[in-house]
Amino acid sequence: MTDLLLENQNARKLIKTLGLPIPVPEKLARAKGPYEERPLDDKKVLVCGAGGLQTTLAQILTKAGANPWVVGDTDAVLEPFIGPGEAWARTPHWVRTGDAPEGERIDAIVFDGTGLESPDDLRQVYDFMHPWIRRLNRSGRVVVIGRPAADAKKPARAAARAGLEGFTRSLAKEIGANGTVANSVFVEEGAESRLGPVLRFLLSPRSAFISCQPFHVTKLAKGDEAPDTHVLGGKVALVTGAARGIGEATAELLAAEGAHVVCLDRPADDAPCSKVAQRIGGSVLLVDITDEDAPARIANELKERFGGVDVVVHNAGVTRDKTLGRMKPDAWDMAVDINLGAVIRITDRLLEDEVLRPGGRIVCLSSVSGIAGNRGQTNYSASKAGIVGFVEALAPRVAKKGITANAIAPGFIETRLTSAMPVAIREVARRMSAVGQGGKPEDVGQAITFLATPGAVGVTGATVRVCGGALIGA
Amino acid sequence: MARKKGSWGKKQRAVIVTGVRTPFVKAFGKFLELDSIDLADIAVKSLLERTDLPHEEIDSIVWGGVILPSLAPNIAREVALDLRLPASVEGMTCTRACASGLQAVTLAAAAIERGEADVVIAGGSDSTSNAPLNLPQKAVHALAPLAFGKATPGDYLGVLSQMMPITDILPKMPKIAERTTGEVMGESAESMARRNEITRQAQDHFAERSHHRAAAAIASGRFDDEVTAVEASGGWVYADNIVRGDTTLEKLSKLRPVFAKDGTVTAGNASPLTDGAAAVLLMSEEKARALGYKPLAAFRSWAYVGVDPADQLLIGPALAMPKALDRAGMELKDMSVVDMHEAFAAQVLSVTKALASKGFAEMRLGRSQPVGEIDEDDFNIYGGSLSIGHPFGATGARMVTTMANELASTGKETALLGICAAGGLGAAAVLEAVD
Repeated sequence: MTDLLLENQNARKLIKTLGLPIPVPEKLARAKGPYEERPLDDKKVLVCGAGGLQTTLAQILTKAGANPWVVGDTDAVLEPFIGPGEAWARTPHWVRTGDAPEGERIDAIVFDGTGLESPDDLRQVYDFMHPWIRRLNRSGRVVVIGRPAADAKKPARAAARAGLEGFTRSLAKEIGANGTVANSVFVEEGAESRLGPVLRFLLSPRSAFISCQPFHVTKLAKGDEAPDTHVLGGKVALVTGAARGIGEATAELLAAEGAHVVCLDRPADDAPCSKVAQRIGGSVLLVDITDEDAPARIANELKERFGGVDVVVHNAGVTRDKTLGRMKPDAWDMAVDINLGAVIRITDRLLEDEVLRPGGRIVCLSSVSGIAGNRGQTNYSASKAGIVGFVEALAPRVAKKGITANAIAPGFIETRLTSAMPVAIREVARRMSAVGQGGKPEDVGQAITFLATPGAVGVTGATVRVCGGALIGA
Repeated sequence: MARKKGSWGKKQRAVIVTGVRTPFVKAFGKFLELDSIDLADIAVKSLLERTDLPHEEIDSIVWGGVILPSLAPNIAREVALDLRLPASVEGMTCTRACASGLQAVTLAAAAIERGEADVVIAGGSDSTSNAPLNLPQKAVHALAPLAFGKATPGDYLGVLSQMMPITDILPKMPKIAERTTGEVMGESAESMARRNEITRQAQDHFAERSHHRAAAAIASGRFDDEVTAVEASGGWVYADNIVRGDTTLEKLSKLRPVFAKDGTVTAGNASPLTDGAAAVLLMSEEKARALGYKPLAAFRSWAYVGVDPADQLLIGPALAMPKALDRAGMELKDMSVVDMHEAFAAQVLSVTKALASKGFAEMRLGRSQPVGEIDEDDFNIYGGSLSIGHPFGATGARMVTTMANELASTGKETALLGICAAGGLGAAAVLEAVD
């Protein structure tokens, strides 16, 4: 069932004309085609904040094609932007703190809050952003960068750092109606060189449905220089549940980046799974992941046919909803085993047999309801929250080999699953996010693809929600 | 008959013996009836006459062109046949947009250096006046049944029914637009001017200087040795006719921008559509001396690069020139003279700005110091494409000729050439004097 408020132009017009008190969501700008040399081509990006990242930001933004507008008390703030600006012909412009010249609009704001020392310093976010926040173009972006609170030696400094996350979450909810999303990035001291790919992703249309999220960029996992385009060239990727929905969208996106995708699904889904594989030039692997010999079979197939695997996307999942009192034991077992048990067994086997190569990427599917809880989903939520714990614990154990492990928690996504929901509940669920609409399978696929890239080496052990800034859950 | 192995496989130095070109003439003017092959014939013929080169010494002709005659695209071979050169003089034609002429010359140098040939004529020509007007594919496909086999009245009706709407089947005016981006080259220049902050005044000033320098060169007879008179249907043409020695900054500043309302690129600071040809004679040094020629110059290095055409289409020379310098083992400051193709004043000034930038050097070239600033007195000293004109395929060969003569006649040691080209291509070469 399509979203009337989003897709039907007549309905949108009617509501606006009549002035009905129904907020009409903004149609989100989405990325077309594979990763580009300049994902921010000709975008006007406001850079503000008094941290120490100006040189890094100048290089990242100008190379990505953005025109930097730098906020500061004097034009000395332009200094770090001049060289990179000349290199990529992106001349920086200076705007005085507190000023927003009449009629100027911007596409994105990047705030460098790595210099915050005390709660008083939090005032900077207000001073820098207040004049500009209503000047953001549709489908705009806000990225707030800070240092991890946990690394602060003084409690006051930790407080200031942690404050940025709350600020960003609230801001995201204020500007979501414009199709704009806001996220925070906490970069560990010494991990600055890993910021580039994260910012290129968060400032691009690939992050259309990601909002209110904190990203932690760390030095934990080993990694080298990463490509900007054709990011998965020469890689082998396994996607479970690839026959349809999020799995299908993910398989397509991974293939578009150059990966050879092994599409795994149940033998019963041979036809749709083969179709996907054929379309993207991938391979088919028909296995019921709950079978006892599934991990061994998958590991052997990957080893023998492809010499190993670089990206593993555990997407296959089921719901068996009933309140706990009414739930049959097999409903519990099935949900927990497919969504969690099988994921762990397969991952363990791939690691033990060293089928997952150094520099590998593990991405598991969690769920917003796993984090927030949902009536009738005790089994499902247990399995999906289990995933969060799994990747968190796995990440440091595989970091030395350059492998990362992360989870993606989708919110309301327009899939076969959600189109079967009762109309009223679906309509409410759709609107319960900062951007006031459901996401698309490709939005989740984009997030998975990003975490699968070599450039995402700084992000590990994390659970990234793709929920458009859902009002439920943290 | 004894089998001749020639110099095959022998490493030898390639030298430039001489070069000559037709006058460069405004398109749809005096050379209207001369197509690319005719112009090439004239340039090569003049080259042969000036050098008294025994025809049997010629191994091959390498020609560059952009708008190739669709029925006979291998101009090089047509020239050999037209001029009744020995049948053994083989020919090939290459295309690399505005760097086609330089490409032909460096292909010839490469062939000589590896001992594939000893005497090669290289050059390029283009006649914008004779660019073919293509029928749209829709019309071509619709007409196919009439062109092949016997058509029935029903076929004619069928063809007619496919010809609607009429605008779909009318020939389209050719324009210099990028195939991938659809951007017209002037728009790319406009965007480069904006992004590199090249003002209208700076562009006009550069264009004015180009015209004044070219006019002075012509007046002083500097080009006499390298330009041949051409007999066209309207009479003899002796000199380039685009140069305006009397132009002033004031006159140029009155022209309207062509590609954007508030733009800066005008007909005055962009190179015009031009007809013309240029030819260069290259030989192995040994052969040249054996035949009694005094070489003018030699290639020390060359380089071709590609950049994203959707970014800065014409910035290529800023990457190609340092690459050629590196290959020559030299620095910009070692160059006695620099000659850059002037597609647009905005493009030249964007490239020189990048070369002078430390940021560009660090982030784009991996060098800690800028490539350097080019001294105005050593830069495009006889004007360039803005004033002399720009028959696409001929420009590279024109630049090689002028710079080779410069080294031979003045005692200057080295020359750096730079050319931008459609598709995001850049080309450069370092020439050195030959004793």
